[in-house]
Amino acid sequence: MQDFQDVWLVIPVFNEETVIADVLAHVLRTFPNVVCVDDGSRDNSAARILGSGAHLLRHPINLGQGAALQTGLSYALAQPRAEYFVTFDADGQHQVEDVENMIGELRTKEADVVLGSRFLESAHEVPPLKKLVLRTIATVSGSSRRLGLTDTHNGLRAFNRAVAEKVDITQAGMAHASELVDFLSRSSFRVREVPVTIKYTEYSMSKGQSLLNGVNIMFDLALRRRG
Amino acid sequence: MLIQALLILAAVLLFVLFLRRSHTARLQAFKRIGFLLFCAFGVLAVLKPDVMTWLANRVGVGRGTDLLLYMLTVIFGFFALNTYLRFKDTEKRLTRLARAMAIRDAIAPDDDLRAAVAEEAAASAGGRGVADEPAEGRGVALAQGGRGEGQGV
Repeated sequence: MQDFQDVWLVIPVFNEETVIADVLAHVLRTFPNVVCVDDGSRDNSAARILGSGAHLLRHPINLGQGAALQTGLSYALAQPRAEYFVTFDADGQHQVEDVENMIGELRTKEADVVLGSRFLESAHEVPPLKKLVLRTIATVSGSSRRLGLTDTHNGLRAFNRAVAEKVDITQAGMAHASELVDFLSRSSFRVREVPVTIKYTEYSMSKGQSLLNGVNIMFDLALRRRG
Repeated sequence: MLIQALLILAAVLLFVLFLRRSHTARLQAFKRIGFLLFCAFGVLAVLKPDVMTWLANRVGVGRGTDLLLYMLTVIFGFFALNTYLRFKDTEKRLTRLARAMAIRDAIAPDDDLRAAVAEEAAASAGGRGVADEPAEGRGVALAQGGRGEGQGV
Protein backbone atom coordinates (compact mmCIF):
# COMPACT_ATOMS: atom_id res chain seq x y z
CA MET A 1 0.00 0.00 0.00
CA GLN A 2 1.24 3.46 -0.87
CA ASP A 3 2.06 5.94 1.82
CA PHE A 4 0.11 9.16 1.35
CA GLN A 5 1.68 11.31 4.07
CA ASP A 6 2.98 13.72 1.45
CA VAL A 7 -0.39 14.10 -0.27
CA TRP A 8 -2.83 16.88 0.58
CA LEU A 9 -6.43 16.85 -0.53
CA VAL A 10 -8.12 20.20 -0.89
CA ILE A 11 -11.91 20.07 -0.66
CA PRO A 12 -13.94 23.22 -1.17
CA VAL A 13 -17.14 22.99 0.85
CA PHE A 14 -20.26 25.04 0.45
CA ASN A 15 -23.46 23.94 2.20
CA GLU A 16 -22.70 20.23 2.20
CA GLU A 17 -23.73 19.27 5.72
CA THR A 18 -25.68 16.22 4.61
CA VAL A 19 -22.77 14.46 2.91
CA ILE A 20 -19.48 15.98 3.99
CA ALA A 21 -18.95 13.86 7.10
CA ASP A 22 -19.35 10.62 5.14
CA VAL A 23 -17.17 11.81 2.30
CA LEU A 24 -14.44 12.81 4.75
CA ALA A 25 -14.67 9.60 6.74
CA HIS A 26 -14.22 7.69 3.51
CA VAL A 27 -11.37 9.81 2.17
CA LEU A 28 -9.44 10.04 5.46
CA ARG A 29 -9.15 6.29 5.55
CA THR A 30 -6.67 6.49 2.71
CA PHE A 31 -5.43 10.06 2.82
CA PRO A 32 -4.38 11.37 6.23
CA ASN A 33 -4.05 14.99 5.10
CA VAL A 34 -7.27 16.65 4.06
CA VAL A 35 -8.00 20.35 4.19
CA CYS A 36 -11.59 21.51 3.85
CA VAL A 37 -12.28 25.09 2.95
CA ASP A 38 -15.71 26.04 4.16
CA ASP A 39 -16.69 28.80 1.79
CA GLY A 40 -19.07 30.63 4.09
CA SER A 41 -21.61 27.82 4.35
CA ARG A 42 -24.89 28.74 6.00
CA ASP A 43 -25.48 25.24 7.29
CA ASN A 44 -23.59 23.01 9.72
CA SER A 45 -20.86 21.96 7.31
CA ALA A 46 -18.12 23.41 9.50
CA ALA A 47 -19.24 21.44 12.57
CA ARG A 48 -19.34 18.24 10.52
CA ILE A 49 -15.81 18.85 9.28
CA LEU A 50 -14.52 19.60 12.79
CA GLY A 51 -15.43 16.17 14.01
CA SER A 52 -13.96 14.37 11.04
CA GLY A 53 -10.21 14.64 11.38
CA ALA A 54 -9.73 17.03 8.47
CA HIS A 55 -8.21 20.48 8.67
CA LEU A 56 -10.81 23.21 8.60
CA LEU A 57 -10.42 26.64 7.05
CA ARG A 58 -13.34 29.00 6.97
CA HIS A 59 -13.93 31.88 4.63
CA PRO A 60 -15.73 34.54 6.66
CA ILE A 61 -17.88 35.22 3.59
CA ASN A 62 -18.78 33.22 0.52
CA LEU A 63 -16.23 33.87 -2.21
CA GLY A 64 -16.74 31.05 -4.70
CA GLN A 65 -15.19 27.69 -5.42
CA GLY A 66 -12.13 29.05 -7.18
CA ALA A 67 -11.21 31.20 -4.21
CA ALA A 68 -11.78 28.30 -1.83
CA LEU A 69 -9.46 26.07 -3.85
CA GLN A 70 -6.72 28.66 -3.82
CA THR A 71 -7.10 29.15 -0.07
CA GLY A 72 -6.81 25.43 0.53
CA LEU A 73 -3.81 25.17 -1.77
CA SER A 74 -2.03 28.04 -0.06
CA TYR A 75 -2.59 26.37 3.29
CA ALA A 76 -1.50 22.94 2.11
CA LEU A 77 1.64 24.37 0.51
CA ALA A 78 2.70 25.72 3.89
CA GLN A 79 2.51 22.27 5.51
CA PRO A 80 5.72 20.35 6.09
CA ARG A 81 6.48 17.53 3.65
CA ALA A 82 3.57 18.35 1.38
CA GLU A 83 4.56 17.21 -2.12
CA TYR A 84 1.37 16.37 -3.96
CA PHE A 85 -1.87 18.29 -4.05
CA VAL A 86 -5.27 17.07 -5.08
CA THR A 87 -8.49 19.00 -5.61
CA PHE A 88 -11.52 16.94 -4.69
CA ASP A 89 -15.24 17.70 -4.69
CA ALA A 90 -17.18 17.67 -1.45
CA ASP A 91 -20.29 15.97 -2.76
CA GLY A 92 -18.85 12.47 -2.95
CA GLN A 93 -18.83 12.17 -6.73
CA HIS A 94 -15.11 11.37 -6.89
CA GLN A 95 -13.50 8.03 -6.10
CA VAL A 96 -10.62 7.56 -3.71
CA GLU A 97 -9.17 4.89 -5.99
CA ASP A 98 -8.95 7.42 -8.80
CA VAL A 99 -6.93 9.72 -6.57
CA GLU A 100 -4.56 6.86 -5.74
CA ASN A 101 -4.01 6.25 -9.44
CA MET A 102 -3.39 9.90 -10.10
CA ILE A 103 -0.83 10.16 -7.31
CA GLY A 104 0.80 7.03 -8.73
CA GLU A 105 1.11 8.82 -12.08
CA LEU A 106 2.69 11.84 -10.43
CA ARG A 107 5.14 9.68 -8.51
CA THR A 108 6.52 8.29 -11.75
CA LYS A 109 7.76 11.85 -12.36
CA GLU A 110 6.52 11.67 -15.91
CA ALA A 111 3.76 14.20 -15.37
CA ASP A 112 3.48 17.35 -13.30
CA VAL A 113 -0.26 17.57 -13.50
CA VAL A 114 -2.82 14.81 -13.73
CA LEU A 115 -6.37 15.77 -14.57
CA GLY A 116 -9.37 13.52 -14.21
CA SER A 117 -11.59 13.03 -17.22
CA ARG A 118 -15.00 11.42 -17.21
CA PHE A 119 -14.92 11.03 -20.98
CA LEU A 120 -11.85 8.92 -21.55
CA GLU A 121 -13.45 5.65 -20.60
CA SER A 122 -16.67 5.44 -18.68
CA ALA A 123 -18.46 8.13 -20.63
CA HIS A 124 -21.72 6.24 -20.58
CA GLU A 125 -22.18 7.23 -16.94
CA VAL A 126 -22.52 10.88 -17.90
CA PRO A 127 -26.02 12.19 -18.57
CA PRO A 128 -26.36 13.20 -22.26
CA LEU A 129 -27.16 16.89 -21.88
CA LYS A 130 -24.35 17.36 -19.41
CA LYS A 131 -22.03 15.56 -21.78
CA LEU A 132 -22.96 17.93 -24.59
CA VAL A 133 -22.31 21.04 -22.50
CA LEU A 134 -18.98 19.85 -21.15
CA ARG A 135 -17.75 18.55 -24.49
CA THR A 136 -18.66 21.86 -26.10
CA ILE A 137 -16.68 23.80 -23.51
CA ALA A 138 -13.72 21.47 -23.98
CA THR A 139 -13.87 21.88 -27.76
CA VAL A 140 -14.28 25.64 -28.02
CA SER A 141 -11.58 26.32 -25.48
CA GLY A 142 -8.33 26.88 -27.36
CA SER A 143 -6.07 25.97 -24.48
CA SER A 144 -7.90 22.74 -23.81
CA ARG A 145 -7.44 21.74 -27.44
CA ARG A 146 -3.75 22.54 -27.28
CA LEU A 147 -3.39 20.21 -24.32
CA GLY A 148 -5.60 17.60 -25.93
CA LEU A 149 -8.01 17.54 -23.01
CA THR A 150 -11.41 15.92 -23.14
CA ASP A 151 -12.86 17.28 -19.90
CA THR A 152 -11.97 20.71 -18.59
CA HIS A 153 -14.48 20.92 -15.79
CA ASN A 154 -13.62 17.91 -13.74
CA GLY A 155 -13.08 18.75 -10.09
CA LEU A 156 -10.54 15.98 -9.63
CA ARG A 157 -7.00 17.18 -10.32
CA ALA A 158 -3.60 16.34 -8.89
CA PHE A 159 -0.38 18.25 -9.18
CA ASN A 160 3.09 18.27 -7.74
CA ARG A 161 4.64 20.98 -5.65
CA ALA A 162 6.20 22.90 -8.54
CA VAL A 163 2.79 23.37 -10.13
CA ALA A 164 0.98 24.12 -6.89
CA GLU A 165 3.44 26.90 -6.16
CA LYS A 166 2.79 28.49 -9.55
CA VAL A 167 -0.97 28.16 -9.58
CA ASP A 168 -2.78 31.36 -8.75
CA ILE A 169 -6.51 31.07 -9.13
CA THR A 170 -7.98 34.53 -9.51
CA GLN A 171 -11.38 33.52 -10.84
CA ALA A 172 -13.33 33.28 -7.62
CA GLY A 173 -16.33 31.58 -9.19
CA MET A 174 -16.70 28.55 -11.43
CA ALA A 175 -14.50 29.83 -14.27
CA HIS A 176 -11.46 28.75 -12.29
CA ALA A 177 -11.52 25.39 -14.05
CA SER A 178 -10.94 26.98 -17.43
CA GLU A 179 -8.51 29.40 -15.89
CA LEU A 180 -6.44 26.46 -14.66
CA VAL A 181 -6.46 24.80 -18.06
CA ASP A 182 -5.44 28.08 -19.60
CA PHE A 183 -2.61 28.45 -17.12
CA LEU A 184 -1.39 24.93 -17.82
CA SER A 185 -1.44 25.42 -21.57
CA ARG A 186 0.77 28.47 -21.23
CA SER A 187 3.18 26.72 -18.91
CA SER A 188 5.70 24.04 -19.76
CA PHE A 189 4.28 21.59 -17.23
CA ARG A 190 3.57 18.10 -18.47
CA VAL A 191 -0.16 17.52 -18.30
CA ARG A 192 -1.76 14.13 -18.41
CA GLU A 193 -5.39 13.17 -18.39
CA VAL A 194 -6.58 9.94 -16.82
CA PRO A 195 -10.03 8.40 -16.86
CA VAL A 196 -11.96 8.79 -13.62
CA THR A 197 -15.41 7.71 -12.59
CA ILE A 198 -17.96 10.25 -11.50
CA LYS A 199 -20.80 8.96 -9.38
CA TYR A 200 -23.80 11.01 -10.39
CA THR A 201 -25.95 10.77 -7.32
CA GLU A 202 -29.17 12.67 -7.07
CA TYR A 203 -27.43 14.86 -4.54
CA SER A 204 -24.49 15.79 -6.76
CA MET A 205 -26.81 16.36 -9.71
CA SER A 206 -28.85 18.80 -7.72
CA LYS A 207 -25.73 20.78 -6.88
CA GLY A 208 -23.79 20.36 -10.09
CA GLN A 209 -23.21 22.80 -12.86
CA SER A 210 -26.31 23.57 -14.80
CA LEU A 211 -26.60 24.43 -18.44
CA LEU A 212 -27.00 28.06 -17.50
CA ASN A 213 -23.88 27.89 -15.43
CA GLY A 214 -22.09 26.96 -18.64
CA VAL A 215 -23.15 30.32 -20.00
CA ASN A 216 -21.71 31.98 -16.89
CA ILE A 217 -18.44 30.17 -17.32
CA MET A 218 -18.14 31.20 -20.94
CA PHE A 219 -18.93 34.79 -20.10
CA ASP A 220 -16.44 34.99 -17.22
CA LEU A 221 -13.77 33.55 -19.45
CA ALA A 222 -14.44 35.87 -22.35
CA LEU A 223 -14.07 38.80 -20.00
CA ARG A 224 -10.94 37.46 -18.39
CA ARG A 225 -9.17 36.83 -21.67
CA ARG A 226 -9.25 40.53 -22.32
CA GLY A 227 -7.47 41.10 -19.05
CA MET B 1 -20.06 63.95 -39.81
CA LEU B 2 -17.84 64.95 -36.97
CA ILE B 3 -20.14 63.55 -34.30
CA GLN B 4 -19.85 60.07 -35.74
CA ALA B 5 -16.09 60.23 -35.56
CA LEU B 6 -16.28 61.50 -31.98
CA LEU B 7 -18.71 58.81 -30.86
CA ILE B 8 -16.66 56.08 -32.47
CA LEU B 9 -13.57 57.46 -30.81
CA ALA B 10 -15.36 57.37 -27.46
CA ALA B 11 -16.35 53.75 -28.02
CA VAL B 12 -12.76 52.84 -28.89
CA LEU B 13 -11.51 54.64 -25.81
CA LEU B 14 -13.96 52.70 -23.66
CA PHE B 15 -12.74 49.46 -25.13
CA VAL B 16 -9.10 50.34 -24.54
CA LEU B 17 -9.88 51.23 -20.97
CA PHE B 18 -11.62 47.89 -20.63
CA LEU B 19 -8.58 46.07 -21.96
CA ARG B 20 -6.22 47.79 -19.55
CA ARG B 21 -8.28 47.04 -16.50
CA SER B 22 -5.73 48.58 -14.26
CA HIS B 23 -5.73 51.68 -12.22
CA THR B 24 -2.62 53.63 -12.98
CA ALA B 25 -1.87 57.10 -11.70
CA ARG B 26 -1.91 58.41 -15.27
CA LEU B 27 -5.37 57.05 -15.84
CA GLN B 28 -6.48 58.57 -12.60
CA ALA B 29 -5.13 61.98 -13.67
CA PHE B 30 -6.90 61.80 -17.02
CA LYS B 31 -10.14 60.94 -15.29
CA ARG B 32 -9.79 63.92 -12.98
CA ILE B 33 -9.08 66.29 -15.84
CA GLY B 34 -12.09 64.90 -17.64
CA PHE B 35 -14.24 65.47 -14.61
CA LEU B 36 -13.10 69.08 -14.22
CA LEU B 37 -13.81 69.78 -17.88
CA PHE B 38 -17.20 68.20 -17.48
CA CYS B 39 -18.03 70.44 -14.52
CA ALA B 40 -16.88 73.55 -16.32
CA PHE B 41 -18.88 72.62 -19.36
CA GLY B 42 -21.93 72.00 -17.19
CA VAL B 43 -21.78 75.49 -15.74
CA LEU B 44 -21.30 76.98 -19.18
CA ALA B 45 -24.23 75.03 -20.61
CA VAL B 46 -26.50 76.21 -17.80
CA LEU B 47 -25.49 79.87 -18.14
CA LYS B 48 -25.60 79.90 -21.92
CA PRO B 49 -28.01 77.24 -23.24
CA ASP B 50 -27.38 78.40 -26.79
CA VAL B 51 -23.86 77.03 -26.49
CA MET B 52 -25.23 73.52 -26.72
CA THR B 53 -27.04 74.19 -29.95
CA TRP B 54 -24.08 76.00 -31.38
CA LEU B 55 -21.77 73.14 -30.45
CA ALA B 56 -24.26 70.62 -31.80
CA ASN B 57 -24.33 72.35 -35.15
CA ARG B 58 -20.55 72.46 -35.23
CA VAL B 59 -20.25 68.68 -34.86
CA GLY B 60 -23.13 67.91 -37.17
CA VAL B 61 -25.98 67.25 -34.75
CA GLY B 62 -29.32 68.97 -35.29
CA ARG B 63 -30.25 70.02 -31.75
CA GLY B 64 -28.41 70.73 -28.54
CA THR B 65 -30.55 68.26 -26.62
CA ASP B 66 -29.53 65.49 -28.99
CA LEU B 67 -25.89 66.28 -28.40
CA LEU B 68 -26.57 66.22 -24.68
CA LEU B 69 -28.05 62.75 -25.02
CA TYR B 70 -25.01 61.52 -26.93
CA MET B 71 -22.68 62.91 -24.35
CA LEU B 72 -24.69 61.41 -21.55
CA THR B 73 -24.50 58.02 -23.20
CA VAL B 74 -20.74 58.18 -23.49
CA ILE B 75 -20.31 59.43 -19.95
CA PHE B 76 -22.56 56.71 -18.66
CA GLY B 77 -20.41 54.17 -20.46
CA PHE B 78 -17.31 55.46 -18.75
CA PHE B 79 -19.07 55.49 -15.43
CA ALA B 80 -20.22 51.90 -15.79
CA LEU B 81 -16.78 50.71 -16.80
CA ASN B 82 -15.09 52.59 -14.03
CA THR B 83 -17.45 51.10 -11.48
CA TYR B 84 -16.89 47.64 -12.90
CA LEU B 85 -13.13 47.96 -12.64
CA ARG B 86 -13.44 49.24 -9.11
CA PHE B 87 -15.63 46.32 -8.16
CA LYS B 88 -13.18 43.84 -9.59
CA ASP B 89 -10.40 45.43 -7.64
CA THR B 90 -12.36 45.42 -4.41
CA GLU B 91 -13.33 41.81 -4.93
CA LYS B 92 -9.71 40.84 -5.35
CA ARG B 93 -8.73 42.57 -2.14
CA LEU B 94 -11.65 41.06 -0.31
CA THR B 95 -10.63 37.61 -1.46
CA ARG B 96 -7.10 38.13 -0.21
CA LEU B 97 -8.35 39.36 3.12
CA ALA B 98 -10.75 36.46 3.57
CA ARG B 99 -8.02 34.01 2.58
CA ALA B 100 -5.59 35.47 5.08
CA MET B 101 -8.23 35.21 7.82
CA ALA B 102 -9.11 31.65 6.89
CA ILE B 103 -5.49 30.53 6.98
CA ARG B 104 -4.78 32.42 10.19
CA ASP B 105 -7.75 30.81 11.92
CA ALA B 106 -7.17 27.34 10.53
CA ILE B 107 -8.25 24.53 12.79
CA ALA B 108 -6.06 21.46 12.53
CA PRO B 109 -7.56 18.19 13.78
CA ASP B 110 -6.32 17.40 17.27
CA ASP B 111 -3.99 14.49 17.75
CA ASP B 112 -6.55 12.22 19.43
CA LEU B 113 -8.89 12.54 16.50
CA ARG B 114 -6.10 11.95 14.02
CA ALA B 115 -5.01 8.86 15.92
CA ALA B 116 -8.58 7.56 15.96
CA VAL B 117 -8.98 8.11 12.25
CA ALA B 118 -5.62 6.49 11.52
CA GLU B 119 -6.61 3.52 13.67
CA GLU B 120 -9.86 3.20 11.82
CA ALA B 121 -8.00 3.33 8.54
CA ALA B 122 -5.65 0.60 9.69
CA ALA B 123 -8.59 -1.48 10.88
CA SER B 124 -10.41 -1.15 7.60
CA ALA B 125 -7.27 -1.95 5.64
CA GLY B 126 -6.66 -5.10 7.64
CA GLY B 127 -9.91 -7.03 7.65
CA ARG B 128 -12.73 -4.53 8.37
CA GLY B 129 -12.78 -4.17 12.15
CA VAL B 130 -16.01 -3.88 14.13
CA ALA B 131 -15.25 -0.32 15.24
CA ASP B 132 -15.25 0.55 11.59
CA GLU B 133 -18.79 -0.60 10.94
CA PRO B 134 -21.01 2.49 11.24
CA ALA B 135 -18.85 4.75 9.09
CA GLU B 136 -18.38 2.00 6.54
CA GLY B 137 -22.11 1.49 6.26
CA ARG B 138 -22.68 5.16 5.59
CA GLY B 139 -19.88 5.31 3.07
CA VAL B 140 -21.38 2.51 1.04
CA ALA B 141 -24.83 4.06 1.18
CA LEU B 142 -23.36 7.26 -0.11
CA ALA B 143 -21.54 5.62 -2.98
CA GLN B 144 -24.66 3.85 -4.13
CA GLY B 145 -27.23 6.47 -3.31
CA GLY B 146 -29.47 7.46 -6.18
CA ARG B 147 -27.00 6.59 -8.89
CA GLY B 148 -28.43 7.15 -12.33
CA GLU B 149 -31.65 8.60 -11.01
CA GLY B 150 -31.04 12.27 -11.67
CA GLN B 151 -31.47 13.47 -15.20
CA GLY B 152 -31.20 17.24 -15.21
CA VAL B 153 -27.93 18.85 -16.06
